[in-house]
Amino acid sequence: MFDNYVLTDNSLENVKKDGEITGYKMRTRITYYRGIPLSMVHDIQVEVDGQEVPRERIRFSPDGEIYFTLEEMKTVTSYKWEYGQEGIVYVEQPGGLAPGEHKIKLTQVSRVAYIPVPFSGTQTKTLTVN
Amino acid sequence: MSSIKRAVSLYSYQDEYVRGKLTLEGCLQELAEIGVEGVEVITDQMFHNTPETDDASIKNWKRIVEETGIVPVCNDIFINTNLYHNRMLTKKENLDFLKKELVQASKLGFPMVRLVSATPADIIEEALPLAEELNVIMALEVHAGMALDNALTKKFTDIMFKLDSPYLGLVVDTGIFCRRHPRVSTAFFLDQGLNPEIVKYIDDIFASGDDPLELSHNKLPEDLEKMVRSRIDREYILFAGGYENKDFSVLDPYMPYVKHFHGKFWEMTEEGTEYSIPYKELIEYLKEKGYDGYIASEYEGGRFALPGTEIDAVAQVRKQQDMLRSYI
Repeated sequence: MFDNYVLTDNSLENVKKDGEITGYKMRTRITYYRGIPLSMVHDIQVEVDGQEVPRERIRFSPDGEIYFTLEEMKTVTSYKWEYGQEGIVYVEQPGGLAPGEHKIKLTQVSRVAYIPVPFSGTQTKTLTVN
Repeated sequence: MSSIKRAVSLYSYQDEYVRGKLTLEGCLQELAEIGVEGVEVITDQMFHNTPETDDASIKNWKRIVEETGIVPVCNDIFINTNLYHNRMLTKKENLDFLKKELVQASKLGFPMVRLVSATPADIIEEALPLAEELNVIMALEVHAGMALDNALTKKFTDIMFKLDSPYLGLVVDTGIFCRRHPRVSTAFFLDQGLNPEIVKYIDDIFASGDDPLELSHNKLPEDLEKMVRSRIDREYILFAGGYENKDFSVLDPYMPYVKHFHGKFWEMTEEGTEYSIPYKELIEYLKEKGYDGYIASEYEGGRFALPGTEIDAVAQVRKQQDMLRSYI
């Protein structure tokens, strides 16, 4: 359905802060047809080369400026993830990912106002870190 | 020639929008180019920070409307009743959100809001005075899978009949009139490994004049359960319950309250008809009933695009509009 929106091509990269690689990030679009407050983003799951990333190391940003942990997002109603706007999934990992190809599986789960069960989208892609 | 009017819901262009091929302004320019009178918008989709979008966005929208000459017809709104993970919103919270939506719709110049199926009915009566003051109709969507016999829909229609206000009504999604299961959906699921026996099982139900609504919401009959081999099979059966095969006459008692139609479609065929929904007969029915509101194209075939294929909603909407124009 909306799975094609989950993981943006060529969007995997290591993140540097003060000269040190602190983690890596990728871009994602909402797997729904409208924007929702961040509290309705029920879950985000990342798997890299078959290894599941611990939930507490994941941060999400709806705009590339403000980042929240998944625990924090549960109560965030003042920021929305707008439709058509790429959000950033950041994973805290000192040293980041090794250059080269990585198999990334990204899953998004949202709560949809009129559908009783959370609604998910998943996409797996091989992306390259330069 | 009847007085039925044509609109397009920008829901149709969601993939073009998300991929940056069409902006909000581009969508309305397309409607102007193909001679469509009205537009329907999901504000949560193409406006930011709804239901409190900023003045600059409202001003820009007004400019686009004026320059293109397209009439704002309907604003599709949602109450995020499950905003929090650990509780549902209270009645007061729901009502406050609905009021904000009404105010925003009014500022954007929409004469009507579409309340999504399953919108809590207990806030409607208290919101009505504001709707009257703003001159904005509240109309509940009657969608296949949750149509007129659904308990939540009935809660709303009971209030609608009781209050009998010109500011309360229904938006009917024509997906309740499917004579065949959409084959683009079938092709999409077959590509993912759907059991072809299930395709035939569901197609036969439609061919017999019935629909899989009840079946998909309950424990599956033994013969069908035996055919289920994967998650995809189960998903297909569940989705099949989202297409109903009702006679037009189910609308008879509701027609005085029907404010708007979603002209749902998944596939315009080479012959210029919709594969599942008999639009010619539907429009004949609406003419007989003297319906003079809008039918808004609502293209939903995009979600069944096969991997590696491009969605061309613009072409599909043009074809459906040609068809509607010829029948009206």
